[in-house]
Amino acid sequence: MVPDPDAALMLAFQRGDPSAFRTLYQRHARAMVAFCHHFVRDSARAEELAQDVFVKLYRAGHRYTPRARFKTFLYRVAANHCLNEVRRGEYGAREREDRDGPSDPDRIASPAPSPEEAAEGAALERAVRGLLARLPEKQRAALVLCRFEGMSYEEIAQVLETTVPAVKSLVHRATVTAAEALAPGGAARMEEALP
Amino acid sequence: MTCVREDLTALLDGALPPARREAVNRHLEGCGACRAERDRLAATLAALSRLPEPPEPSPGFDARLAARIARERRPGLLSRLAGLRWTVAAPAAGLAAAAVVATVAIRERRLADEAVAANLEFLADYEIAASLGDVETAEDAAVVLALDQLAR
Repeated sequence: MVPDPDAALMLAFQRGDPSAFRTLYQRHARAMVAFCHHFVRDSARAEELAQDVFVKLYRAGHRYTPRARFKTFLYRVAANHCLNEVRRGEYGAREREDRDGPSDPDRIASPAPSPEEAAEGAALERAVRGLLARLPEKQRAALVLCRFEGMSYEEIAQVLETTVPAVKSLVHRATVTAAEALAPGGAARMEEALP
Repeated sequence: MTCVREDLTALLDGALPPARREAVNRHLEGCGACRAERDRLAATLAALSRLPEPPEPSPGFDARLAARIARERRPGLLSRLAGLRWTVAAPAAGLAAAAVVATVAIRERRLADEAVAANLEFLADYEIAASLGDVETAEDAAVVLALDQLAR
């Protein structure tokens, strides 16, 4: 295995060096907040979830064994924590709001004559929020890891503890759903298809 | 080859093995429907790549995270309670809630009623625990106050 400086830090922390753990969260905390934000789409909650992830790491430090890259391990913990969070249903109302809200993905796909970048970005963000709310949880996790975290299918398979062919299928189905959601009139059609 | 659609996203992601990639590309040369689907998915990936970055953590994020980690270094009342069996926690919850009420009564009204007398032993334990520093944060205090809810 290629030397993994993060895993070395985790092992140093295991041996009693608290500064090693501090370095780890300084390196990864912002990425964790961003990752959690993709799941809950709430800045304050994303920060809490990211902190939860590091507290879990801290508590599990004495059991840590570097079987995979530290980043894979970290995202596995984070993905499971975020999926548990969205399973709790606390975000059901917000997700419905995103689905039913004023999202207008037509603005994204249509060649608007002179759209302002900020407005386009906001519209895209609303559309993606609605999309993520509709996706089954494994597809959501695969899409976030692939599209927003830039992970390879192999890395995603390790994080989600599944196979590469399964990831290929999850990412493809999520992308097809995204294509439908972001197409002109796509949001409305998807709403009609919902039970 | 009849259907390559399941491979199109992986093709765009550069995740197909070379032989399969060549086969899919050959199919695309002669299949307008699959080319249209590939282009639709490519446009989707391009749109997703334009998604604004999530917001930066708030200014107090690092300090709050450091504080949470620091609290982990000293096992407190919270973590001890997490390890209690509910069969133990339930009666303890009732006693602790009574103890808190009793403490307030003692300090504010200085009335020694029967409830205080019935829980004096636990109250002593509670105050000893507090004196050792186990109940020193708002979070710990909130746990004590909510013990009756935890036990349900």
